[in-house]
Amino acid sequence: MKQKPKLAVYWAASCGGCEIAVVNLHEKLLDVDAAMDFMFCPCLMDTKKKDIESLPDRAIAITLFNGALRTEENIEMAHLMRKKSQLLVAFGSCAKGGCIPALANFTKNNELLHSIYIDNHSVDNPAGIIPSGTTAFPEGDMQLTPLLERVKHLAQEVEVDYYIPGCPPEPHQIWNVIETFLAGELPSKGSTIGCGTLTVCDDCDRTKEEKRITAFRRNYEFYPEPEVCLLEQGLLCMGIATRNGCGAPCTKANMPCTGCYGAPEGVGDQGAKMVAALGSVMDIGDTAGLSEEVISERVNAFLTTIPDYSGLFYKYTLASSILGGRVGR
Amino acid sequence: MKIGIYFCNCGSNIADKISYTAVVEAAPSFPEQTYVKTVNFICSEEGRQQFEESLRMEQPDRVVVAACSPRDHEATFRGCLTNAGINSYLMQMVNIREQIAWVTEDPTVATEKAISAIRGAVYRVRLQQPLERKQLEICPDVLVIGAGPAGMKAALSFAEAGRAVVLIERTPFLGGLPVRFEDLFPSMECAPCMLEPLMGDLLHGDYPGSIELITMSELVELTGFYGNFNAKIKQNPRHVSLHKCIGCGECVAVCPAITHNEFNFSTNDRKAIDFAFAGVLPNAPFLIEDACLRSNGGNCRACKDACPLGQDVVNLEEAETVVERKIGAIVVATGARLYDASRIDGLGMGRLPDVYDSLQFERMLSSTGPTGGVIKTAAGLVPASVAIIHCVGSLDEDHVPYCSGICCQYAFKFNHLITSKLMNATITHYHRELVVPGKEAFHLFNNAVKDDNSCLKRYSDINDLTVTPDEKGRLIVRAKGDAAPADIVILCPAVIPAEGADKLSVLLDVARDSSGFFRELHGRIDAAQSTIKGVYLAGACQEPMDIRTAMLEGMASVGYTLAALQPGRIIEIEPINAEVDDTRCAGCHLCISVCSYRAISFDIEHNVSNVNAVLCHGCGTCVTACPAGAITGHHFTNEQIIAEMEGNLK
Repeated sequence: MKQKPKLAVYWAASCGGCEIAVVNLHEKLLDVDAAMDFMFCPCLMDTKKKDIESLPDRAIAITLFNGALRTEENIEMAHLMRKKSQLLVAFGSCAKGGCIPALANFTKNNELLHSIYIDNHSVDNPAGIIPSGTTAFPEGDMQLTPLLERVKHLAQEVEVDYYIPGCPPEPHQIWNVIETFLAGELPSKGSTIGCGTLTVCDDCDRTKEEKRITAFRRNYEFYPEPEVCLLEQGLLCMGIATRNGCGAPCTKANMPCTGCYGAPEGVGDQGAKMVAALGSVMDIGDTAGLSEEVISERVNAFLTTIPDYSGLFYKYTLASSILGGRVGR
Repeated sequence: MKIGIYFCNCGSNIADKISYTAVVEAAPSFPEQTYVKTVNFICSEEGRQQFEESLRMEQPDRVVVAACSPRDHEATFRGCLTNAGINSYLMQMVNIREQIAWVTEDPTVATEKAISAIRGAVYRVRLQQPLERKQLEICPDVLVIGAGPAGMKAALSFAEAGRAVVLIERTPFLGGLPVRFEDLFPSMECAPCMLEPLMGDLLHGDYPGSIELITMSELVELTGFYGNFNAKIKQNPRHVSLHKCIGCGECVAVCPAITHNEFNFSTNDRKAIDFAFAGVLPNAPFLIEDACLRSNGGNCRACKDACPLGQDVVNLEEAETVVERKIGAIVVATGARLYDASRIDGLGMGRLPDVYDSLQFERMLSSTGPTGGVIKTAAGLVPASVAIIHCVGSLDEDHVPYCSGICCQYAFKFNHLITSKLMNATITHYHRELVVPGKEAFHLFNNAVKDDNSCLKRYSDINDLTVTPDEKGRLIVRAKGDAAPADIVILCPAVIPAEGADKLSVLLDVARDSSGFFRELHGRIDAAQSTIKGVYLAGACQEPMDIRTAMLEGMASVGYTLAALQPGRIIEIEPINAEVDDTRCAGCHLCISVCSYRAISFDIEHNVSNVNAVLCHGCGTCVTACPAGAITGHHFTNEQIIAEMEGNLK
């Protein structure tokens, strides 16, 4: 009997949402099992690292690698999975662009650890211990993997064959990719797959008109009209600068798109593109005859309605952006 | 790919700071096959010849010219490429003079900078594509906005020159403000009589069909540019066909609905369907919808049934329509109005029945006005004394800073008319300054000065003047201790731009000055041209003026237009413009909001935006704004710009 191709799903610095998305294939999982040998997924099954190490190189047909690279252990596993896989897929926004973990690049590691273990209302740590290095236990020494100086996305460490965006990727798109793979119809290497080529606006049914925005509002402030473009209603919807394919579940639920599918095809930097787009539709009223100071005040008043630039514009792509994390706020 | 790099010494301007030999030495490190040549003054006749000969001999695929600012000579060198048989968009200029040689002290640093900039241009020019200019024949037809003296004169003259004219007018009639006056300064001509031949010619003169008059209309949208505008004109329903109505007035006679006559400032009544005034042109009534019984749910059709010409003349169901016209140029002749004198509290305007502004008084003097030309108080009495207050709001920092120029002259015209109608009435002029320039105005001024019943009093601040009724109700004009009775007070308010000038300036993208008048391209040299090519100014929309000047301005606008807008003339369309990739546009509409030239429209059927290449100026705003990266700016593509930066930073 011909061996089924091996499928691995590995997580690095991630929340587990990508695994949930795989599980959300529901009964389709049986089809996956019928067609593939789903042999490694630390979240779901008990295969160990040593089992992978003992495989011949390129034994795994396809590895869906999710999570950003936060620790040295993540790096080690990235290299191991690369070596053992014919196709390595950056699966989900963390592996593709760094996502939430990469927002840590705005701060230094010692500040980060201080916030987590010392200066934190929900932590009781009178001895001020910051876990690190090797700790002796009766059962033996335990070693904590060191943090990297900066969070990376997968392709910054190993060669990546394909990218699947999403936080997490939508199950129907995961299934599309598996079907395409099984049919041997994957596009050229380096492609972003399991998604569309337009923006979320194409998936979103709301009516779109010309855009003039006088101030942004937050979700808790009002109930948006269900039929009208959320951006036009003053919600900071990232859909205009986000790759489609998700089916716009967020805007359908009256929530603005937060941009998890990353930059559309051909756009280099999602956050920069969003800033350029918003700058173009920002409406500070008629400025004829106003002094530069007054215009500047109006612009600033507008900008204060955007609460967190980096967290909004680079939530999913900071590690892959040209910013790289060097700016404040 | 062979890339020719041409280095201009610009005499010593560039050569003193930037080493040509260093550029030659650096060239082998550039990508592609490059050669470097130097020319002493590449923009000179000799330099251009050398450049073109070299291009012909070397046949490069791409060209870099390292010289001055492209604002100086990009067009020159593009011409050279064309002459040498190379598409002119395959050249990239590097400004090594203004941006490097002139602003860098150290020659070593300047040379380094120049090499870096030239390298950037080489990287960029590799990606440049040949582009073709499209040609478009201009449209010789003209839109005239406003049918006052300036607009009528312009429209008629265009027709005389064989041009098709669209003349739009907001009111239901021709003639602007003066048609409402009885007599005109300086020579007491009857205004409607003077204007009648002009208006008659417009309606049915020697050039029938070449003037399209659209009354009760306004411009609502304008796209395009000089030679190729597309205007959308909203026409409010008149409910009476201008083509079919003969002005017999049968409909007016039977109309049961009465309303205020706004033409006479509501000082008398009119029918819901009525003429603006007797003798109006075009000679057709118009229906005021709000006053018609039908607006309150009635089904009156008396006017329609009374029409002896049949059922097609009065159209009670007529609705607002929008028509589109293609034109090559626009003459703005929207005129002026009076400053609201009630804003100067002490003068009683709007509060006291016998205080009139000059337009209201013009109507009182008019034989078609509310009193049939009889001067009388609101109580119907013959006034024994009249006060005329000049400079109301003019030359006043709190109101308008300028002198309105025409008020003194019509004030002395009033003086003349009042004395001839009321032999014994006394007239007092309260003025701050007196302005009666020119070779004719002094006649009326002298009349007033010499008249025993008339006197002139000077005041320094309009706030020192008050008009109040005494206990018997007679008006008293007080001016710093002086008090004089006046049965009628006439105010001469400042002349300000007509209503809607602000809206129109936005539609046309034409600048206005701090007083709200349309701004001339140059106040002396090009006073009939606006700041936008193809949009000309005529009459009081640019500053207060009399009829003579307005008529001349109208002719001036015709002169400008005819000189530029020659039938058959070709406009070249710059190929540096934006283009939407249908396969990448997700239909978010964002680009439509950012385009200043209204060049982007939305294709609902395909859910994509479209850029009209004729309207696009190639500014690149939409390219940057498009969040989907679906818009390409030709000649300034992202790839080209990034390549140039890469080259600079290598």
